[in-house]
Amino acid sequence: MKTLYILTALGVIAMLAELFRFKKFLLPIVLIGLMGAIASSVRDWNTNIHYYNYMMTFDNYAILFTIVLCVTAFLWFMMSKDFFGSESSKTDHYALVLFALCGAMLMVSYSNMVMLFLGIEILSIPMYVLAGSNKDSLASNEASLKYFLMGAFATGFLLFGITMIYGATGTFDLRSIGITLKSPELIQVWRGAGGTTLLYSGILMMLIGLCFKISAVPFHFWAPDVYTGAPTPVTAFMATIVKTAAFAAFLRLFITCFSGLGNVWMNTIWVLAGLTILLGNITAVYQTSVKRMLAYSSISHAGYMLLAILAMNNHSVGSVLFYAAAYSVATIGAFTVLSIIEKNFELASVDSFSGLAKKNPLLAFAMTISMLSLAGIPPLAGFFGKYYIFTSALQSGYVWLVLIAVLGSLIGVYYYFRMIIKMFSSGTGEVTNIEISTLQKIVLVITILLSILLGIFPDMVISLL
Amino acid sequence: MNSIFTLIPLFPLLGFLVIGLFGKKISKGLVGIIGCGTVFVSLVLSVYAFSGLIGGGEKSGNSITIHLFDWITAGNFSAPFNFLIDPLSCWFLLIITGIGFLIHVYSVGYMHDDPAFDRFFAYLNLFIFFMLLLVLGDSYLTMFVGWEGVGLCSYLLIGFWFKNNDYNKAANKAFIMNRIGDLGFLLGIILIYVTFGSIRYKEVFDVASSFPSSKPVIIAITLLLFVGATGKSAQIPLYTWLPDAMAGPTPVSALIHAATMVTAGIYMIARSNILYTLAPISMDIVAGVGLFTAIFAATIGLFQNDIKKVLAYSTVSQLGYMFLGLGVGAYTGAVFHVTTHAFFKALLFLGAGSVIHAMSGEQDIRKMGGLKKYLPKTYLTFFIATIAISGIPPFAGFFSKDEILGHAYTYNNFFWLMGVLGSVITAFYMFRLFFLTFFGKFRGTEKQEHHLHESPSTMTIPLIILAVLSVVGGFIGIPEVFGGTHWLHEFLSPVFSASDLKTLPKEMSHSKEITLMVVAVLAVCTSIYSAWFYYLKKENIPVADGVAINPVQKTIYHKYYADEFYEAVFTKPLNWLSEKFHKIIELKAIDRAVNFVGESVTWMSGQARLLQTGHIGFYIFAMVVSIILILFFKLL
Amino acid sequence: MNTIQSIHINHYILLSAVLFCIGVMGVLFRRNAIIIFMSVELMLNAVNLLLVAFSSYWNDPAGQVFVFFVMVVAAAEVAVGLAILVMIYRNTGSTDIDVLNKLKN
Repeated sequence: MKTLYILTALGVIAMLAELFRFKKFLLPIVLIGLMGAIASSVRDWNTNIHYYNYMMTFDNYAILFTIVLCVTAFLWFMMSKDFFGSESSKTDHYALVLFALCGAMLMVSYSNMVMLFLGIEILSIPMYVLAGSNKDSLASNEASLKYFLMGAFATGFLLFGITMIYGATGTFDLRSIGITLKSPELIQVWRGAGGTTLLYSGILMMLIGLCFKISAVPFHFWAPDVYTGAPTPVTAFMATIVKTAAFAAFLRLFITCFSGLGNVWMNTIWVLAGLTILLGNITAVYQTSVKRMLAYSSISHAGYMLLAILAMNNHSVGSVLFYAAAYSVATIGAFTVLSIIEKNFELASVDSFSGLAKKNPLLAFAMTISMLSLAGIPPLAGFFGKYYIFTSALQSGYVWLVLIAVLGSLIGVYYYFRMIIKMFSSGTGEVTNIEISTLQKIVLVITILLSILLGIFPDMVISLL
Repeated sequence: MNSIFTLIPLFPLLGFLVIGLFGKKISKGLVGIIGCGTVFVSLVLSVYAFSGLIGGGEKSGNSITIHLFDWITAGNFSAPFNFLIDPLSCWFLLIITGIGFLIHVYSVGYMHDDPAFDRFFAYLNLFIFFMLLLVLGDSYLTMFVGWEGVGLCSYLLIGFWFKNNDYNKAANKAFIMNRIGDLGFLLGIILIYVTFGSIRYKEVFDVASSFPSSKPVIIAITLLLFVGATGKSAQIPLYTWLPDAMAGPTPVSALIHAATMVTAGIYMIARSNILYTLAPISMDIVAGVGLFTAIFAATIGLFQNDIKKVLAYSTVSQLGYMFLGLGVGAYTGAVFHVTTHAFFKALLFLGAGSVIHAMSGEQDIRKMGGLKKYLPKTYLTFFIATIAISGIPPFAGFFSKDEILGHAYTYNNFFWLMGVLGSVITAFYMFRLFFLTFFGKFRGTEKQEHHLHESPSTMTIPLIILAVLSVVGGFIGIPEVFGGTHWLHEFLSPVFSASDLKTLPKEMSHSKEITLMVVAVLAVCTSIYSAWFYYLKKENIPVADGVAINPVQKTIYHKYYADEFYEAVFTKPLNWLSEKFHKIIELKAIDRAVNFVGESVTWMSGQARLLQTGHIGFYIFAMVVSIILILFFKLL
Repeated sequence: MNTIQSIHINHYILLSAVLFCIGVMGVLFRRNAIIIFMSVELMLNAVNLLLVAFSSYWNDPAGQVFVFFVMVVAAAEVAVGLAILVMIYRNTGSTDIDVLNKLKN
């Protein structure tokens, strides 16, 4: 819980930096603050404390996802130093990102629907602004507008769903809802008042709202456009932290409340997961812009993670956590390389990576590791992420869906390897004088090491849960 | 003390890391020393492990399992990361590190002028690491990790030198075909896990040995694994990537695409022998595919003029023999042939590399000829290898091939006949290659002739060592009929004995065995004679591309009755068959199927992207329609 | 029994659902971004109405407290949304959502 205080305080400090003129020291302060946040989360391990009358629960689930979020954010701040450049709105960007991070924390530790709603909104509203933070670029404007309009629209459905579940059960508290829905005699009480329809449509409406946030097909339309139009560091933030938080929220809600009512939502998620995996991967094949390719690939990864939610067994949490960590690390690595390359190219295409291996081996190696991990090639982290998710889905008997997922990842291998081949091919010499700051180098090395270490010792993460 | 063997794969990995990270900063000499040195240490350790196994002597069932760490534990599933050193894996360790070391040394000379010298050694060391991982693992999962890893390295090394656009096609082809195979392998592993509840060899085989024969699930598992093997070991229908893979540097072809990686499929099936023994139908399929590949590839080899392509098809064909051996239950024979094949095929490739090196990169045998006097050491060693592959006693290839053919005979007479036919074709095209390259007049340009020279000693010493091995390599498995004890069979028996009891044929009488050998050897000798007659005595040179069968050939046709006979019975139908196989089956059916998959995905992708119209209105409309559909189906 | 509770809960549900659907229709059929904002607000207000009705039905104040949260968030959303629109209007001179469709495929 102190983690949340620390992050909020950091956000306030960032806003004050303009007033008291310590903008220069903001990045070190934020990085130290994040380390403090991670440390304070670790100290809460196994304590299981509830706050504010069960509005939030800081259990091990919340702590682990918080750590994943904070580590990702730590790497993110180091990679996107340039994003905060010298412009006047520097401190605003810091504050917005930090507050968005607070929202993400709420989403992983809520135990009341109200906090879920607030968390999603606290995360989303700064993201709407950040997506449009490149004010003079029409693409950035368009991204912001699309994200905002569709996000607000989806929020309406989420809220309607929350309200209907409230109407059917009389509470916003996750545990009470879970207990109510698991006891047959209580179900009798409100069935008379048309409660079943109310409850079922509530579940489906919430499902739709959350599927929008994780960009599952057919609620994914915003994602490719927004990812392409937003400034690259913001895209990296959306693809990692926003997605991880949304999945943590999704999983917690469905495990605590709706696991007993599988017949209502499981078929729907089955179809959505299959569509997401296939459409995401197939469309990515065609893309020439790397950013857009990564956008579609991130859609397909959401599809794989849906499998774990669908499996709904005691491995689900561990596999989603591991997948989110592996995916975030690899994605941060890929976006770091992309943002460095994009200094030379407005919108880096796959071709602009050709010959990178010769010009800058570190960049090429980091990108290769990230691509291999995303493609799920052993022994990197991404392979075990997929492995855990597929086995947990198999244990619950979703053989066909796993086959679709394997097929999808085979297609995925094609476009990830296309990048690798390009980088190791003889170059056209378009990319010149690549400059990498020390911080970015550190990020690259850390992502490489994490991808490999998580792949060699996956058990260390999984056994925590 | 056993834990010292964990260093076997770690040293090449260390070499990869050091060269990969600091390769640009250290001198070429040091890169070469690190690259070769790390593999040499692995070789020494492998020999040490091997001597430990032999020392075990009487209780020869002993094998060492080294527990490293628990890799994955998910619920009741666990995959400890263990190394298993038993006779089979130890034998492969020796082949990989031994041949690997020689080829590393050779590469120091061969790649000396290449600007990316360090990258080459880094990849090569990484390959050795993954290959060792593949054979050392004690579970299918570890094998799969190594399997993917060697695929990756092979992929990187094929593309090492690419300069033209054909590379992209070749790479894609290798890639897609291996992926199809890998998918089969992966499904096989999943099915094994579902059936046996474990993926460790020991646990799987213990459970399997109580299964009845021909259980459908076992047949499914073995066939899926075999699909994986056809991909990696280039069998019909997934073989065409291997000839294309010759785009890589020649030492790579020798190490990866002849001696080690492509035999991974043989290792996998030999390792799973207990499962295959339980599925006779799968055994038949393995034998049939192997035999068909052996002959099919050999006929194509008759028609090729690129020195490396001939060797590539010959590799496919020899791999086919190994699968034939596995299929008829001659597991030892297959491993034996892997060994001897590693010797003489590595030698052939390295010899070819030496020739190409001398010819300044020329690979067309029609432009060679008379190289005997310029490259005496290469000539001699190449000659030995050619004899060995043709199966002339007492060279290495004879014993291993004979063992496979002997088993094939007891299994089915027809298999033996076809096998002998295959080795007749093999002898013909190998000697054709040999004569055209080293005898006759030099047919290249003057500039090339001027440049001809013997290769440096870092290249010729590995050639000589391999030549010695190609001569004596067969003596590890002298059959009883010659008074030998078949040492290799004894050595590997802990792994294969359970299967041997079930599949080993009725004993053949020694006189019959000798008769079969004599028939086979005589047939091969006739074939060599005809190659000599046709290419050396009559000095026929294959016509240039695009020229139809010419008047010169017609004259010969009328002059010599023997020629007419060979032409009609032997050369012409085979040429025709070779051409048809190449043009119709290979180019039309197989290539098209592979291309079709790729194109259809690209096409779908082009269509799917049109959904993303860019209009918010459409996006919201699509969302609302989906929401209505979901609510409609779930609530009504 | 107060006035709110004197009307059967199903009527509230129906009314809110109709309001919500009108909001959805507005988002779906209008092209002016400001009107789309208003329609989204209508959707949120339909939810607020329903929350208050359920709150009274269950005799539980939590529903009404939630309404305040929703209103605050909606206000923040409108502020951000209008700011985005001002930015776009400056760059394109229009608030039609179809003007911006450069990002596609």
